[in-house]
Amino acid sequence: MSQEKSFLKIFQYSETSILLEFKQEPKIDLLNELIAFKKTLNSNLCGIKQITLSYKSLLLQFSNPIKKDQNLKEEILKLYLSFDSSKSKIKSKHWNIPVCYESKYASDLIVLSKYLKLSQHQLIKLHTKPIYQIYFIGFLPGFLYLVGLDTKLYHPRKKSPTLKVCKGAVGIGGRQTGIYPNQSPGGWNIIGTSPTSMFDPDLKQPCFAKSGDTLSFYSISETTFKKIRKNRIPPNFREITL
Amino acid sequence: MIEILNPGWHTSIQDQGRMGLQEFGIPYSGAMDMNSFNWANKLLNNSLNAALLEMTIKGPKLKFHAETVIVFTGAQMDIKHNGNKASLYSPIFIKKNDLLECGACKEGCRTYMSVLGGLQTERILSSRSQCNYITKSGHINKKRILQIKKESFELNKGVSLKSPLPSYNIKEIEVFKGPEFDLLEPVAQLKIATQTFTISHLNNRMAYQLEEKIINKLPEIWTTSVLPGTVQLTPNGTLIVLMRDAQVTGGYPRILQLSNHAVNILAQKSTRDVLHFKIKSFD
Repeated sequence: MSQEKSFLKIFQYSETSILLEFKQEPKIDLLNELIAFKKTLNSNLCGIKQITLSYKSLLLQFSNPIKKDQNLKEEILKLYLSFDSSKSKIKSKHWNIPVCYESKYASDLIVLSKYLKLSQHQLIKLHTKPIYQIYFIGFLPGFLYLVGLDTKLYHPRKKSPTLKVCKGAVGIGGRQTGIYPNQSPGGWNIIGTSPTSMFDPDLKQPCFAKSGDTLSFYSISETTFKKIRKNRIPPNFREITL
Repeated sequence: MIEILNPGWHTSIQDQGRMGLQEFGIPYSGAMDMNSFNWANKLLNNSLNAALLEMTIKGPKLKFHAETVIVFTGAQMDIKHNGNKASLYSPIFIKKNDLLECGACKEGCRTYMSVLGGLQTERILSSRSQCNYITKSGHINKKRILQIKKESFELNKGVSLKSPLPSYNIKEIEVFKGPEFDLLEPVAQLKIATQTFTISHLNNRMAYQLEEKIINKLPEIWTTSVLPGTVQLTPNGTLIVLMRDAQVTGGYPRILQLSNHAVNILAQKSTRDVLHFKIKSFD
């Protein structure tokens, strides 16, 4: 048992929650495994209120305080050992997100392109080329944690955050790129703005994307930006079954 | 209807919050001191999730446009009902056009006012709790009108109205070791377990920062799930205790986790109050 446990840490996090942490670097295989195992736990464990997913862990929250004699940790480990992620089909979506990279909507694009020794055109091309993996949502409501930024675009966050980053601003911070769902303070370098609404509290599903979905950016003009924002046009997507 | 003549220092509508919506990055929210919240609703026979007012540091001035019954719980406060002193933990019978003036919190910093049937404000994402980015405002503003229900009230005989008031002078904060606690150097661990900490002026519904620093030599961690009550250690050595409106993920090491009870206790503390951690295990 101890061997199997060496790659999975099962840790009581609070009176009502247990943390499952995988000791490996976050990769797409691990993400798919986390999504599939989350499903297994939700249908096999009693009293679960919610399971949240992050890069390499699941946090299981229960309705009632966890009792020592419940042997919950053992039960979770047993479920994991008999779990076969290859058997579970994951349905996901690929989202196409429009971004206006024109200077009015991209306060740091010129400075960043000079710093990275790229033309603005090259920078936009490198940003719109990859398929980004959506890991989870956090930081702000509707803020997607994306993996897949081209290494040529890695750039540290600003030393002191900007007090007002606009809603929809698309930024680069370290190895990450992301879309600010709302106006907020932020330290990322802003290279464009998306007219797509990333978070709408009036909807039953306030954010269209979820863990396991993918996303790519495409460049649009200011005219298209205004049209999409004015008419609240939702983003295009296609279904993927793994 | 309740009319807000003056909102006080920071008054917001709260219920039990938005549990279950964290996959969208939505904060938990809900009353900071759930113990006082529960008492406030229990004493009126309200449903467990009935929305009420959470008053911080200094309470509001209110005018009632309908008959109702209200109860105050939590931090002690001078309350004037049409100029007469009213007390906490017992029902106050309100008539149309009554005025209610709330003073400053004494001993503790959050006072709760429940209303018979609960406040009937807009429900967003299954909760009435106000929170930035989710509701239009994170707090109530002057001139706002709060809708209430017309309900009959019977004194709740099952609940003792003279329940012992909780003491907010407790300095002990009960915690469990967080996932990254054991990675700290023994000196740092000892310091956390024995030192007295002071609450910085940076304290609100999202988080409480502590003034005394802990040497942090821990590596950065991959952004991960956090809960209200999670104590993070920043690269410059500051301890941050996450509270109800905190973001739901974080990238700083998680050193401690407050017990549910301790979150309620801390919620009644404010700038310059002191505390020490008592590390407990689950077994």
